[in-house]
Amino acid sequence: MVATVVRLRLLLLRNMMSREIWRVILFGLGALWAVSMLPAVLGGARWLSGQETTVQSSSLVVVGAVLLVGWFVLPVLMFGADETVTPRKFATLGLDPRRLAPALVVAASMSIPAVFTGFVCLASVIVWRGYGLATTVVALAAALAAFATCVLAARVSTALATRLLSSRRARELAGVAAVVAVIAVVPLLIGLGSLGLEGTLERVPRVAAVLSYTPFGAAWGAPAAAAQGAWSAAIGQLLLAWGFVGLGLLVWTRQVDRLLVDPPSTVGASRRRADAFLGAGSGPTTTAHATLAVARRSLRYWLGDPRYLASLASTLLMPLLIALLLSVVGLEAVSGGVLLAPLVAGAVGWGRHNDTAFDGTAFWMHVSAGLPGIADRAGRVLALAAWALPLVVGLAVGGAWLADRWDLLGASLGLALGLFGAGLGVAMVSSVLLPYPAPRAGESPFSTETGAVGASLVAQLLSTAVTGVLAVPVTVLFWLTVTRSPGLAGVTLAVGLLGGAVVLAAGIVLGGRLLDARGAQLLARLH
Amino acid sequence: MGDGSRTDGARGYAHVMTKPPTTPSAPPSSAPVPTAEPPAAPEPPVALRLRGLVKRFGETLAVDSLDLDIPAGSMFGVVGPNGAGKTTTLSMATGLLAPDAGQVHVYGVDLWREPAKAKPLLGVLPDGLRVFDRLTGAELISYAGLLRGMPRDVIAERRDDLLTALDLHAASKTLVADFSAGMSKKITLACALVHAPRLLVLDEPFEAVDPVSAGVIRRILAEFVAQGGTVVLSSHVMALVERMCDHVAVIGAGRVLATGSLDDVRAGAELEERFFDLLGARGPEAGLAWLRPS
Repeated sequence: MVATVVRLRLLLLRNMMSREIWRVILFGLGALWAVSMLPAVLGGARWLSGQETTVQSSSLVVVGAVLLVGWFVLPVLMFGADETVTPRKFATLGLDPRRLAPALVVAASMSIPAVFTGFVCLASVIVWRGYGLATTVVALAAALAAFATCVLAARVSTALATRLLSSRRARELAGVAAVVAVIAVVPLLIGLGSLGLEGTLERVPRVAAVLSYTPFGAAWGAPAAAAQGAWSAAIGQLLLAWGFVGLGLLVWTRQVDRLLVDPPSTVGASRRRADAFLGAGSGPTTTAHATLAVARRSLRYWLGDPRYLASLASTLLMPLLIALLLSVVGLEAVSGGVLLAPLVAGAVGWGRHNDTAFDGTAFWMHVSAGLPGIADRAGRVLALAAWALPLVVGLAVGGAWLADRWDLLGASLGLALGLFGAGLGVAMVSSVLLPYPAPRAGESPFSTETGAVGASLVAQLLSTAVTGVLAVPVTVLFWLTVTRSPGLAGVTLAVGLLGGAVVLAAGIVLGGRLLDARGAQLLARLH
Repeated sequence: MGDGSRTDGARGYAHVMTKPPTTPSAPPSSAPVPTAEPPAAPEPPVALRLRGLVKRFGETLAVDSLDLDIPAGSMFGVVGPNGAGKTTTLSMATGLLAPDAGQVHVYGVDLWREPAKAKPLLGVLPDGLRVFDRLTGAELISYAGLLRGMPRDVIAERRDDLLTALDLHAASKTLVADFSAGMSKKITLACALVHAPRLLVLDEPFEAVDPVSAGVIRRILAEFVAQGGTVVLSSHVMALVERMCDHVAVIGAGRVLATGSLDDVRAGAELEERFFDLLGARGPEAGLAWLRPS
């Protein structure tokens, strides 16, 4: 079974690559990156083997925890970057989940990130080599457990997310999760900011000690305990680590079992609501009415379609992480707080660069009705602005409060609005010219279309570059305000507001014209 | 009650049909135009004229310089085997797929040159395309009407008529995502009808539709044609085309193999026989000898 599934996985990988040159290039780049990182990993391990035991132990536990969190979270947010071999595809074959589940895990570990992670896990053995044979053996057993935990975590979290987000309660759950994530970042920012870099580092050993008894650190703490001669703790943690692997495998087997016979259904109890589109009134309707109808329809999707929430979550991840990192590193004046709103606003606006593709083939209704392109574009912008603008303003105020830099509020808001307008304006054009396949409505929000890597890369790079260029004036002004004279905050706000509005309006008009001219061509690419 | 109300609905709908298309083609009509009959201009005898349509998908020539005239006031059936180019042709004829070459004229208006004038004349039911399924059935019809710039009170009236006529009232508050395949087909048909077009182009309108609804749809279409409208529909079911349509075209390998009135095309034989003749039918020669219950 394992061999068959692995062969299948490799075959699919090969066929996918032969379909698109971009995948080969990406694969090559990924492999190159991984290989180029190997000396750094080895060097780090050598350097660490010369340090004190406490340093070794706490740094390795933190590395391991970060690694596991990454494996748990990233596969979900990366839109199922690697979904060639999923349990559901085996549903018709009548296989025993207890044999299929481990095979799927092994097959999933045939990827560059997995191989690289395996290498990192094994490299940790180098650190413990000098403590004698027994410790090395413990380290080896623990490294294998750590690797297995990572690969299993990715499987479990993807299956869990698919199940949760395709259920009828997806909207509520995803919404709550997003809010919790945002709220969780704020106290973290405050906490880390108040501790400073050194204060944070001081806490690491204590945190690591606790982590060593959780799935996040058990496998990394065991050799450390062994090296310190605490053999009962070492054996305990090693057993714990392998116990977590067993538990993960058990959970994964049950998930596979359920996915085989009871795939997540998008159809729940039917949802009923009155016609919220028409409204009262008589007399001819205008393009403005059509625009409002498009906006209302877009908003309905924002509120109820897990694909939109999933794309939003993955768009927001980066800015939040950057803000977090900046506030930890504690750059002077530009603390994470002031940058929070601009980063989020830019990401949300730019994030719609593939907006039309989310309509899928339903876009034919706009083409067939001869809807003016400008109404189509403006409707989408209205729907996004309806929730994004209040959020951005709120984040700007909250960020200024966090950083305690009220003098920079105007600059922060100006940059945010400028980036939002520029990103969204560019998105309104690029989503006509450069659509790439998005998950279909009702499909798992984490599925990707195979053979779309090149198109998505080009669209993302181009829209990012153009947005960046268009946002140069406001960015420079923001930088000047922060570094030279806070008096420029008002100018930054004005330039951001006006410039963003102009770019956005231009994007709507240009995108609308392109849509009028190429609606059918666009529809043909949304299949 | 069900049958009676359905007939009423259908009749009420046909009444609506007699109005000229209330669409943004003409500068937004100042009033719903309830009384004025369409100026009895001499209508061009051809509702849909396809000339030299070509569509290539990579190496495959899906539609091979296809010519077809669809007379105004006809119920026109398009038949052909899988992969003959029916859907591709109808997509190009309705503005949903840009042809590589050729022209499409809807009642004399060049569809690809003057889409804003031609599209209001057209009602389209595409095959295999989704709709915005996070909307309810009623909302989807309203949405289609609003996109076309129709007055809201007219939309509301027609929406309710359509929901009744197509027996979708019970599902009007349900999200289209929760519809069955047949119900989705019917709601999409309702969206194609709401602006009272002059030409209906329906790709596989009866697929997955239950017999009762199919009967209702047939009646609606027949009344539409009786009022002077034109219907083009594609189907795999020969018997249905034979029963419903007065004109047919047989399409194979991206070309029209035969077209004309039903009687001309079938030339005294069954349509199905003529179909096999035209396509150089192959009988089941390569049987699956091993396929028997083991």
